[in-house]
Amino acid sequence: MGQTTNPLDRYVHPLSDRYASPEMQGVFSPSRRFGTWRKLWIALAESEAELGIDISGEALQQMRDAVDSLDLEKAAEYERRFRHDVMAHVHLFGDDAPEAKGIIHLGATSAFIGDNTDLILHRAALELVRTRVVRCVEALSHFARRYADLPTLGYTHLQPAQPTTVGKRATLWIQDLVLDLEELDHRIGALRFRGVRGTTGTQASFLELFEGDHDRVDALDLAVGRRMGFEATYPVSGQTYPRKVDFAVQASLAGVAASVSKIGHDLRLLAHLREVEEPFESEQIGSSAMPYKRNPMRAERMCALARHVIVLAQDPAFTAATQWLERTLDDSANKRVSGPDAYLALDGCLVLLENVARGLIVNPKVVERNLAEHLPFMATETILMHATSRGGDRQELHERIRQHSMAAAGRMKEEGADADLLERIADDESFGLDRDELTAMIDPMRFVGRAPQQVARFLDHDVMPVLEKQREQILNLDDPEIHV
Amino acid sequence: MSDSSPVHHSDLDLTLLHRGKVRDVYEVDAETLLMVASDRVSAFDVVLPQPIPHKGEVLTLVTAWWLEQLDDTLPHHLIAVDPDRIIELYPDLAASRDAWARRAMLVHRTQPVLVECVVRGYISGSAWKEYRQSGTLAGEALPAGLQESQRLEPAIFSPATKAQEGEHDENITFGQAKEVLGNELAERLRALSLDIYGHGRDVAEQSDIILADTKFEFGFDKNGELLIIDEVLTPDSSRFWPKESYGVGRGQPSLDKQPIRDWLETLDWDKNPPPPDLPDEVVRAASDRYAEVFERLTGTALADYSPPLFGDGR
Repeated sequence: MGQTTNPLDRYVHPLSDRYASPEMQGVFSPSRRFGTWRKLWIALAESEAELGIDISGEALQQMRDAVDSLDLEKAAEYERRFRHDVMAHVHLFGDDAPEAKGIIHLGATSAFIGDNTDLILHRAALELVRTRVVRCVEALSHFARRYADLPTLGYTHLQPAQPTTVGKRATLWIQDLVLDLEELDHRIGALRFRGVRGTTGTQASFLELFEGDHDRVDALDLAVGRRMGFEATYPVSGQTYPRKVDFAVQASLAGVAASVSKIGHDLRLLAHLREVEEPFESEQIGSSAMPYKRNPMRAERMCALARHVIVLAQDPAFTAATQWLERTLDDSANKRVSGPDAYLALDGCLVLLENVARGLIVNPKVVERNLAEHLPFMATETILMHATSRGGDRQELHERIRQHSMAAAGRMKEEGADADLLERIADDESFGLDRDELTAMIDPMRFVGRAPQQVARFLDHDVMPVLEKQREQILNLDDPEIHV
Repeated sequence: MSDSSPVHHSDLDLTLLHRGKVRDVYEVDAETLLMVASDRVSAFDVVLPQPIPHKGEVLTLVTAWWLEQLDDTLPHHLIAVDPDRIIELYPDLAASRDAWARRAMLVHRTQPVLVECVVRGYISGSAWKEYRQSGTLAGEALPAGLQESQRLEPAIFSPATKAQEGEHDENITFGQAKEVLGNELAERLRALSLDIYGHGRDVAEQSDIILADTKFEFGFDKNGELLIIDEVLTPDSSRFWPKESYGVGRGQPSLDKQPIRDWLETLDWDKNPPPPDLPDEVVRAASDRYAEVFERLTGTALADYSPPLFGDGR
C-alpha cells in the first residue's frame, strides 16, 4: 500500500476538521499524549530513585529538561523500525536524556504508559466537558429568567395541553444539564490511577526490582500516582485498568448528549412553530434551493452529533463485556477511536448549544397567537364557574359549552377558520357574560400556575450555587467559535 | 439603632435561597428577594462564633446611604430598606419585623454576573502579594518600586472569581474577564466600577477614611438591564483604613475589624477552624466600632439614621 503525501488524498476526520474545539482537540493531540508519556516516565524514575533504586540525579535532571522537546518525526522513524509505539518513544526519550537511557521505563509495561495516560486524559477531557456544560447552564439561565413569565402553550403528546411559560420550559433543559453536572462531578472524583503493576497486574517485576521488599513496591504504586495528581489507584488490576471505567465515563458523556439532544429537538419543534429561533447570521443562507428558509441547522447538528455520542457508549460496554482473563488486546484499536470521538463529538454539541443559548430569538407575538388560538378551549372550566356563580345551571351550561366547543373546533378543522368559541359564548345569553368579561377570563397569566415562581426559585436556589461553585472553570476557556 | 438582639443566623418564615458568609437571602416572590445581613463576622476568613450587635444593620444602612447618593445615576437592585415601606409592600413581613428591620434590603431578583468587580485604589492584600511576586496586578504590569499600601493612580479594575465558602477569591486578568463576559460587558463593568469607586473614595476621604479597595457585584434584571446588586462600599465589601494611621511600606489597621484582630493576635490560635469564643468586652468593642464607622462615614449617628425611600417609594 503506497503512502500518499498529498493531504487532500487522505481522509480528514470531520470532528477535528469541523466540529470540536481547539481545547478538546488539544487534549487528544499527539503532543499531549506523548508529552504525558514522558511525564509518566519521569514520575516513575523519580519515585524509583526516592525508594532507593540507583538512578542518578543527572539522569533525572536530563529527563525533566527534555520533557517538552518532543520530535514527533523522529518518533515516527523509530516506530517504523520497532513496530512498537511505546518502545519508539523510550528510545527517543533516551536520545534526549542520554544519562537516563538505561533506566527509562524500568520495570514497566506498555500498559503502564498507555493506560495511565488514558486515565489522565479522561480526567482532563471530563473537566473540559464539565466546564462547557456549566457555560451552557449559565447561558440558558439568562434566557429562562428573561422569559419566566411569557406564557406559552404547553404540549403533552405533542398536542396542545395547558399553558406554561417559555422560561419554565427552559428550566427543564437546565435541570437536565445540572443533573449531568452532578454525574460528571462524581465521575471525575471516582477516577483513579492504574498505577505500577506489571504485565498481569501482580507487581512481579517490581517485586524483583526491589528485591522482595513488598512495602516499597506498594509505595511505588502510590508515589507515581500522586506525582501525576491521583490520590488513589485501583486496588487490583489485570494488565489494564478496569475497562468498566471507560464505559462509565462514556455513559456519562452519553447522558450529557441526551440532554443536548432533547434541547435540540425542542428547539427544532419550536422553530417549526416559529416561536423560538436559533441565532442566524445576517448573510447565512438557509437553503440552496429555497431562499426564504431559516433552518434550525445548529440544533439539527447538535442532535446529529449527540446521537453519535450516545451510540458510541456501546463500544466500551462491549469492550468491558468481552475482555478475557487478565486482558486481551481487542480493546485497543476500538478504544483509540471510540473514546476521543465521544469527547470530540460531545464537545462540538456543547459549543453549539452555548452559542445557540446565548443567541436564542423569541417571537413573542407568535407565541401569543399560538396560545390565543387554544386558550378559549382551556378556559371553558373558568367560564363555567363564573357563569354558574351568576345563577346559571352548571349542567345545562356545561352541555352548551360542549356544543359550542365542538362547533368551533369543527369550523377550525373543516373550514380552516379562526377559533370563534369566545364569540359563540358571548352571543349565548344563557351565560350572561359579555365579550370583555370573557377576554379577562382568558388572560394567559391565569393559566400558567406557579411557572414564573418556579423559574425564579429554581434559578436562585438550585442553579446559582452550581454556577458559583464552578465559576472558576468557566473562566479558563476561550469563547468557542463555531463554523456554520 | 434597633433594639433587637444580635443575629447569627436569621430564621424568617420565607424560603431561604442562600446563606452566605454574612448575608441570608430569602425569596419574597418571583421577582423580589429579601437580603438579610446577619451580625456574623469573620476574621482571617473564619466565621467567628459570636455575632457582633449592629454589624448587619451597619452593612445594610451603609449600602442604602451610598445608593441614596447614586440613586439617580446608577441602576441598582434596591426596592426598599425602610422597614415601614417594606411592610407596606409586603404586609406579611410585619410579623417578623424585629428579625429583619434595618438589616434587610428588599431587592429585585437578578441573574448575577459571574465575575466580581474589584477596584483597587491602594495596593494591598492579594494584589500586593501578586505585585511583589511578579510586578503585576491582575496580570498587567505596574510601575516598578511601589510600596505596600501605596495609592494607585488611577485606580485599577481587577476582576475576581467568587470563591467557594472558606476559600479566597481568585484574581483574574481583564482579558480573562473579557473572555467570559464578552468585550462590551467587561468594558461596561470596568467603567461603572471605576466610577462608583472613584465617587466612594472621594466621599470617604472627606471623613478621613481611606477606601483602599472594594468589590462590586452586578446582575441583569429580567428586562436585561444591568444593575448593581448586593452590598455597596461597605466595610465587608471594602477595605476601610483610618487616615490618621496611614503610611506606606506596611499593612494598615482595619477601621472596622481591628479590635477583633488585635484580640485574636494575642491568642495562640492557628487561624484555622474552630475559632475561639470572643469575650464580651471584645464583642462590645467591635460593635461600638461598627457604629463609629457608620457615624464617621455618614456624619449621622447609627440610631438617628433613617434609610431613604427608593424608586416608586419616593
